[in-house]
Amino acid sequence: MLRRLCQCRARQLQPFRRFHDARVYKEDPRWLGWQVVIGIETHAQIKSRRKLFSESLTSVPGETPNTHVSMFDAAFPGTLPKLNHKCVDLALRAAVALQSDIQTRSSFDRKHYFYSDLPSGYQITQQYAPIAIGGRLSVALPNSPPFEVRIKQIQLEQDTAKSTLNPRTRTSHIDLNRAGTGLMEIVSEPDLRSPDEAGAYVRALQAVLRAVGASDGNMEQGSLRCDVNVSINRVGQPPGTRCEIKNLNSVRFMIAAITHEITRQRAILESAPDPQNATVPQETRGFDEHRFETYKLRSKEDAPDYRYMPDPNLGVLVLSQERIRTVRDTLPELPWETRERLRSAYGLSERDVDVLLNIDSGRDVSFDGETQGPNASVIAYFDQLCAEEGDEGKRRRDPKAVSNWITHELLGQLAARKETFKDNHLSVDQLGELIDMVQNKTITGTSGKLLLRHMLANPSKTPTMQIATELQLTALEPCPDSTSSDTPVHSPALRALCADAIAALPAESDAARKGNRNVLNKIVGRVMKDSHGRADAKAVRALLEELLLPR
Amino acid sequence: MGVIPVTLPNPKFEFTQARQRQLSTSVSLDSTTCRARIAAYNPSINAFVRTSPPPPPPPPHPSPLAHETLPLQLATRPVAVKDSICTRGMGAGCASEMLRDFDPPYDATVVTLLRAAGADIIGKTNCDEFGMGSMNIHSIHGPVINPFGSPAHRSSMARSTFPSAPSSSAPPLPPPPSPEARSAGGSSGGSAAAVAAGMCFAALGTDTGGSTRLPAAYCGVVGLKPSYGLLSRWGVVSFADSLDCVGVMAGCVEDTELVFDVLNVYDEKDPTAALPETREAARRACERRMEEMGWSEGRLDGLRIGIPQEYFPAEMTDAVLQPLRRTIAGLQAKGAVVVPVSMPATAYALSAYYVLASAEASSCLARFDGVEYGLHVRPPPGTDLATTSTAELYALSRSAGFGREVKKRILLGTYALSADAFDNYFLQAQRVRQLVKDDFDRVFGIPDYRQCTTGETGSEGVDVLVHPSAIQTAPRLDGEGGGGLETYVQDVLTVPASLAGLPALSVPVAGEGWPVGVSVVGQWGCESVVFAVGRAAERI
Repeated sequence: MLRRLCQCRARQLQPFRRFHDARVYKEDPRWLGWQVVIGIETHAQIKSRRKLFSESLTSVPGETPNTHVSMFDAAFPGTLPKLNHKCVDLALRAAVALQSDIQTRSSFDRKHYFYSDLPSGYQITQQYAPIAIGGRLSVALPNSPPFEVRIKQIQLEQDTAKSTLNPRTRTSHIDLNRAGTGLMEIVSEPDLRSPDEAGAYVRALQAVLRAVGASDGNMEQGSLRCDVNVSINRVGQPPGTRCEIKNLNSVRFMIAAITHEITRQRAILESAPDPQNATVPQETRGFDEHRFETYKLRSKEDAPDYRYMPDPNLGVLVLSQERIRTVRDTLPELPWETRERLRSAYGLSERDVDVLLNIDSGRDVSFDGETQGPNASVIAYFDQLCAEEGDEGKRRRDPKAVSNWITHELLGQLAARKETFKDNHLSVDQLGELIDMVQNKTITGTSGKLLLRHMLANPSKTPTMQIATELQLTALEPCPDSTSSDTPVHSPALRALCADAIAALPAESDAARKGNRNVLNKIVGRVMKDSHGRADAKAVRALLEELLLPR
Repeated sequence: MGVIPVTLPNPKFEFTQARQRQLSTSVSLDSTTCRARIAAYNPSINAFVRTSPPPPPPPPHPSPLAHETLPLQLATRPVAVKDSICTRGMGAGCASEMLRDFDPPYDATVVTLLRAAGADIIGKTNCDEFGMGSMNIHSIHGPVINPFGSPAHRSSMARSTFPSAPSSSAPPLPPPPSPEARSAGGSSGGSAAAVAAGMCFAALGTDTGGSTRLPAAYCGVVGLKPSYGLLSRWGVVSFADSLDCVGVMAGCVEDTELVFDVLNVYDEKDPTAALPETREAARRACERRMEEMGWSEGRLDGLRIGIPQEYFPAEMTDAVLQPLRRTIAGLQAKGAVVVPVSMPATAYALSAYYVLASAEASSCLARFDGVEYGLHVRPPPGTDLATTSTAELYALSRSAGFGREVKKRILLGTYALSADAFDNYFLQAQRVRQLVKDDFDRVFGIPDYRQCTTGETGSEGVDVLVHPSAIQTAPRLDGEGGGGLETYVQDVLTVPASLAGLPALSVPVAGEGWPVGVSVVGQWGCESVVFAVGRAAERI
């Protein structure tokens, strides 16, 4: 470990590379003549059931303060950390997804500072030997080719507690629920060139982390936070001095913060007496969410010395090739893989793919990377509904029809109930049966929608066919093989309905018998009404024509 | 003194004989006797800072099943525990103002194991604050007085003559030490003194750089710093995580081994605990080596003892050297082969130790901020909280809570970890630590099973190292030889084994007057070999 520590120190002391020309300069009309260079450190809470080094359960904001706290979390003397390997595996998933080079040996370090959100006086992190080094993520802005963002490293670390100041009583309140929750710090290289690219990068990263189950990436809930480094330089000149904007917790704020920072730095450089040699003072800045401006937190001179020290308790984290391979082999499908599969394997349109992916972007991510039932993800639900039949090797349902039923009918009716896909309790079998019944005309499309509404309102495990029968929604015109014969055989029930309608509308019926085709519509309408949508209008018309029209 | 012939007033003889008696009579160190002795002598020795109520008497009629179960290894044995080891309901003050009123809601794993073995946790012992010191003078409870030669010590040798317990409980403050009073050593001075004064059967200390071995040597008892990673550190208040070990002290090697065996259990709550397979590999290697030597009764034929030439600094006194020579001669007479060895990194070990121990201390003690527990000093009235940083508020509690020595080391350690000093101090000290480890691995025949799993036992290497535990006998408490750099030089012989994480046993040997300890150091996990040599040494 000592050797690695020395190597790492040597790396850190190397002079800066000329990183900013890694990408071709593209002019931006908002700041002509200036190049913007952005790098992002993302802190993503690991979606584990328990904390990184203790047995306590993780929590979400809003839970009763100090209810998820172990002796270790409160830094009681004599307590020791115990690494939660579920957290390690989730970080490894992220590393594989980002094509990062997983280190078979990594180690933990202590970062020291005194603040009330840090009970032990140090945060355990991976300063010298992170769990994964390097990597890349492909990011796309709408209507432009994708670009690649290099990942510098991924490190495991502890989240802090939360301290809030009550200005009225002038007291600090400390909630240790979050203290010790596992975080992944994902550091990008300074490969981003505009606020919009930065936003797209964070969204892409969010989608990847969610897809592999490493984090729920929820910025509003604080499970994904960003520190952004911004510098600007005149085109062709060396990179400028960077300023770091801390703790941005929404993409919108991040874009606003970077935009403001560019304007601010530009003003400094342009108003300097010697513009060619002017530099921006190196600072750590915060973002004011009300004024949409960044403000100074501290200058370089005030930067704290964190006194990093290898953690003597945790030793070396050794990862076997076999363990890494297992993570690689069992990695859930990545967003771009899903998109490609939906397009090529099912032939869905770009629009349908977008709708399905969008629904899933809001789904719950399970703890510890556990696999979920098909109802947790609309893609999995869709996959199962389209599932191929084993023996015949032939697709069971038409993907286009399934996609329509999900995106239009199911989600539409859920929305009408002010629900989302998460609330859908219809099993794959139930909806599958419903779609089949409509497809083979056991029920009409109208009845199908009615049935769906009924089933959403009355959760049960009863097979769809049984519910349809109970509700008398089965079509009056069973159509098996009806197409094979020129003269369809109409059901007695439909015949009875038609006879009733003819009896109820004697004047119209007479007119029809005399050859008035127009009046037939009225009788068809009557039959349809009486059948409560169970009858097929075409079949009714055909039957009425047979019964009334002169031959 | 009844059974000792009165014609031999020679203090050397008296000590040796007395110790032998203690070896054979330690069974009488029961809970009642020890509590009476604590009540009688603790005011003048100041070994205990808290005692527990006596355990309930055993039922008059043992349960019908009692005879079928094996007696517990430590049944009814009173064991004292250093105040930096957590005990539920008995405090863990670490001799610090910071934790004076801290009462941990948990037992350290080692305490749980003691209780499970039937031990009576008789009380908590005085120490240097957070284990920092080698004289046990940095304590909010005052210094521990070395009981050697005191009425307490003499009566521990002849048990029938100690006075009955006074009716009142112990006074809160000990009487000031007499000018001639000697240090019990530190930092586990209270534990060593308690054993020496017959106040307990055995005591737990901690050992970061010699804190168990040095007081054991000064007080004339046996002290073991086990291999790092064998005894669980869970519940032991950290001073320097990579060096801290739980130490065991008792009147003789056999009793020390008995307690060690009870505690030598893998604990998954301690991330630095050696894995069961690593322990087993080392144990088997020692077994093979001892079988190979095939010792008969009381013999050490074939044993190779290394005498490290760098362990005899100029400051070492004759009072220490002569007994060591006699011990080595005695071991040779039993068939051991003595080999001079060189450990070139020793000269730098002390400096490296102080950099690393202080750096880790500055980190481990950062948690004491007065928020979650411990001393909390409120800001003075009128303080503008809006302009006062959290660190400044913490400084109030930390300034009041820590003593001089602790503050000094925190400052040193903070500096060693600062960005500008890290490479030259912390990293450099880590390199030296590796060199010290290499020295040991080069001289020992048995390999270090923490690093290799299939190591071959070399025929050229030594089985143990033997050297004095300290450069002198117990120094006086009145400042003579205390306070300056000398107190650190004391640690020169003990820190290499700490840096390398090796087992080291200090055994009292026959000396002229004040006790002298000889250290037996073995390869990692080779406690069995170390104990065997220790048993032989204490009988010389």
